[in-house]
Amino acid sequence: MTETFDKSRGPSETPEEREFELRAQIGSIWSGGRLFIGMYTFLLASLVFSYFYLRSSNNGMEWRPHNQHAPLYYGWSIYLLTVAAALLAIYGQRRLRKGDVADFQVAGWTGVVCGLVALFLQIWEFQKLSFYPGASGYSSTFIGFAVMNIMSLVIGTYWLETTLARSLRLRRELGGDKPELSMAATAQEFRAGVASMAYFWGFLAIGGALLTAMFYVM
Amino acid sequence: MTISAERPTDVVASISAPPPSAASSWTQRPGWLSQHLGTAIVGAVLGYVLGHWFGNFVSSSYPYIANSGQNAIADALGLSVGVLGWLLGIGALNYPLAKMIGREGGEEPAVEGWSKYFRYSLDHKTVGMQYIVGVLLFMFTGGLLAMAIRTELLNPTTHVFSPDTYIKIVSEHGTIMMMMATSIIVGPLGNYLVPLMIGARRMAFPRIEAFSFWIFVAGYMVIFSALPFGGFPTGWTGYAPLQTQAGPGMVSYLLGFAVIGLGMMAAGFNIAVTIINYRAPGMTWSRLPIFVWSILATAALLTLATPVLFAGGLFGLLDKTIQTSFYVTEHGGSSYLWQNLFWFFGHPEVYIMALPGFGIVGEIMPVFTRKPLFAYKVAAAGMIGVALLSFFVWQHHLFQSGINPDMRPLFMLTTELISIPTGFIFLVGMGTLYKAKIRYEVPMLFCMALFFNFLIGGVTGVFLSDVPVNVTVHGGFFVLSHFHYTIMGGLLFAFMAGLYFWLPKMTGRMMNSRIGKWHFWTMFIFFNLTFFPMFVIGLLGQPRRVFTYASNLQGLNDFSSVSAFLLGISFLIFFANLMWSMFISPVKAPANPWDSLGLEWQTANPVPPYNFERIPVIMTDPYRYSEPGAPAFADMGDGLTQSSSTTSSDQA
Repeated sequence: MTETFDKSRGPSETPEEREFELRAQIGSIWSGGRLFIGMYTFLLASLVFSYFYLRSSNNGMEWRPHNQHAPLYYGWSIYLLTVAAALLAIYGQRRLRKGDVADFQVAGWTGVVCGLVALFLQIWEFQKLSFYPGASGYSSTFIGFAVMNIMSLVIGTYWLETTLARSLRLRRELGGDKPELSMAATAQEFRAGVASMAYFWGFLAIGGALLTAMFYVM
Repeated sequence: MTISAERPTDVVASISAPPPSAASSWTQRPGWLSQHLGTAIVGAVLGYVLGHWFGNFVSSSYPYIANSGQNAIADALGLSVGVLGWLLGIGALNYPLAKMIGREGGEEPAVEGWSKYFRYSLDHKTVGMQYIVGVLLFMFTGGLLAMAIRTELLNPTTHVFSPDTYIKIVSEHGTIMMMMATSIIVGPLGNYLVPLMIGARRMAFPRIEAFSFWIFVAGYMVIFSALPFGGFPTGWTGYAPLQTQAGPGMVSYLLGFAVIGLGMMAAGFNIAVTIINYRAPGMTWSRLPIFVWSILATAALLTLATPVLFAGGLFGLLDKTIQTSFYVTEHGGSSYLWQNLFWFFGHPEVYIMALPGFGIVGEIMPVFTRKPLFAYKVAAAGMIGVALLSFFVWQHHLFQSGINPDMRPLFMLTTELISIPTGFIFLVGMGTLYKAKIRYEVPMLFCMALFFNFLIGGVTGVFLSDVPVNVTVHGGFFVLSHFHYTIMGGLLFAFMAGLYFWLPKMTGRMMNSRIGKWHFWTMFIFFNLTFFPMFVIGLLGQPRRVFTYASNLQGLNDFSSVSAFLLGISFLIFFANLMWSMFISPVKAPANPWDSLGLEWQTANPVPPYNFERIPVIMTDPYRYSEPGAPAFADMGDGLTQSSSTTSSDQA
């Protein structure tokens, strides 16, 4: 076979090949986003398993001595902010799908603020705990939950922020202020990425309901 | 047929051409002033020093740290920031940071020559070659530790090491080998070959792929750092409460597992998404090469099982650093919790190691038997079946501890069930060999050895799944021999088969066949002579991880040790062959030296940067060897290259 590649510029592509690559890229973003949620589910499931395993074992009657509780108002505040960020991300994604970039950006940046405040509260909550990390099984799993929630909020907020930052640079490809759906390749890829990001936030909101109930309510 | 025959073109006009590549930053330019292995090492050292200092700064006044003389927080922060510095130094964080201001990475500038192997490359072929060197380094280190173990076991009363040092050597050997083994095929061969086999020009997420390699190396260094920190005494399984009581080397173990776990997740994620989305037109699921099926099943396990290991390691680190009590029974935790989390990952890990090996032999055997792969769909279904069932067997590792005895029969049953799809895969191999005119080339010899070894490893595995046998031989050399037969006898032999088979494609140079046969026979014979006596040793009662034993077992142990040294020499023969064939006396490889129909052999040699001049269109099944009149496997689109089902060796 003859060597026809220009190594500095990549392969020469026919329009059909470009179309194939584009579909593959969009499919990768779509399936990658869902697979990432699958991975994250197993991570959070480890925490849920640990919680119920230690709770049911109640070794030395030390699962939750002295009725330890994390501060409820922090828990609700963090969760509501997470839900708000998720709703804003999903709303923004739907507006973007209709071609309204400005709505996406306003909703998105508000979501970033919600995510950052939730992150701040989750870290600050360590100052307000009435128990030591190793005081009980509950306290340990709570610290594990807090660390994982910090990780979740960092990932979600980073993902939201980077899509917004990208949208500012892609303004022209996305269609500018015109409320019409751009069919530019970069715009299609971008929308696929935003959809995956919004799904992840939705996942955090739904998973957060279970975790908040476990650690603050039950 | 061209790609347009498979793909509608009506929307093509609406798609604009890709944007021109963004200007590459100075960090990506070729040259020694840019980011490479050297800057990564500098970053790691500076990161470690900074993190350790910061850890001491914030935590040294805590009473439990001041009184203990150990500061696990400083150790953990030092290693964590060291890993970050490593990633920053190699350039892995350039893209995530640039994204924060909305910049997308452009195409990487082509770096020619050797220096590309020391950089953060986005070419899957370069990453595959980097992985080969990485896993061989892992294997060499773990192998040296194995030699140390067998040296100690030469005599039950005269000792080379103290019991404390011995268990730390055993632990480091086990951990390094298991972590190396999880990536030994997915990393080098999976990354290099999967895009070529599915007709793709690239990976779906090349940056994630490169990240998986460089963090894998960082994880290796973190695990290895346990030795200067005093090692860890838990074996590779890291059981609590010993884990909680151990010294700073345990931090390296826990963090190393978490770091390598990140790499495993990243590798599996990228490969799975690539296989799902980047298959060439016409490559339906029933036309996927069996090796790709095996890698897909493995990637699913990597992405779904490894997060549990990551969580378990995180909880352990929290126990060691900020004094939570996940695994401390006295404070409401449970040492069994670690066992559950560890083995929920750990048993699928066994199949993470085994499945790619089956994929390799399934791919290679049709080439050397000139027969289609027998019962291809059964093999693919068997791999998926093994992957699914592997999530339901972990409790058999807890038969002796932490399990309700009434639950034992259930997990005994699930464990025995998994032997059924495994048996399918085995029978597929036997069916392919049946009445075949076999070409006994070096890769084929390794494939056949795998079946011999895995038969022994698999049958003893069925014994071990039975509770009475498990209770009797638990913790002894019988178990040790069983898993060496499955992992080393299966995986490592498959890896060697894959290297001898695909290195001509990867490097353009043939491995020396005569030295290869010396390597094979010495490895096969001495592997069996090393590990088969261990079944007997185990049945006679010798426990694992203990540096002394009953004097009547010395003869068998000495036999095993001497065989192990000779097995080590067989690996030296392999390295000698590698050096000889690649550097000292290289022989140019023909374009398709084995007459394979595989798509990876149909592209140019050396493989161009974007793999295929035109995206191929797959026309038929992948293994139609010796079938007169069968259509070509793929239309390569250039009008020049087509693979034919009847090749020169068939005609001969």
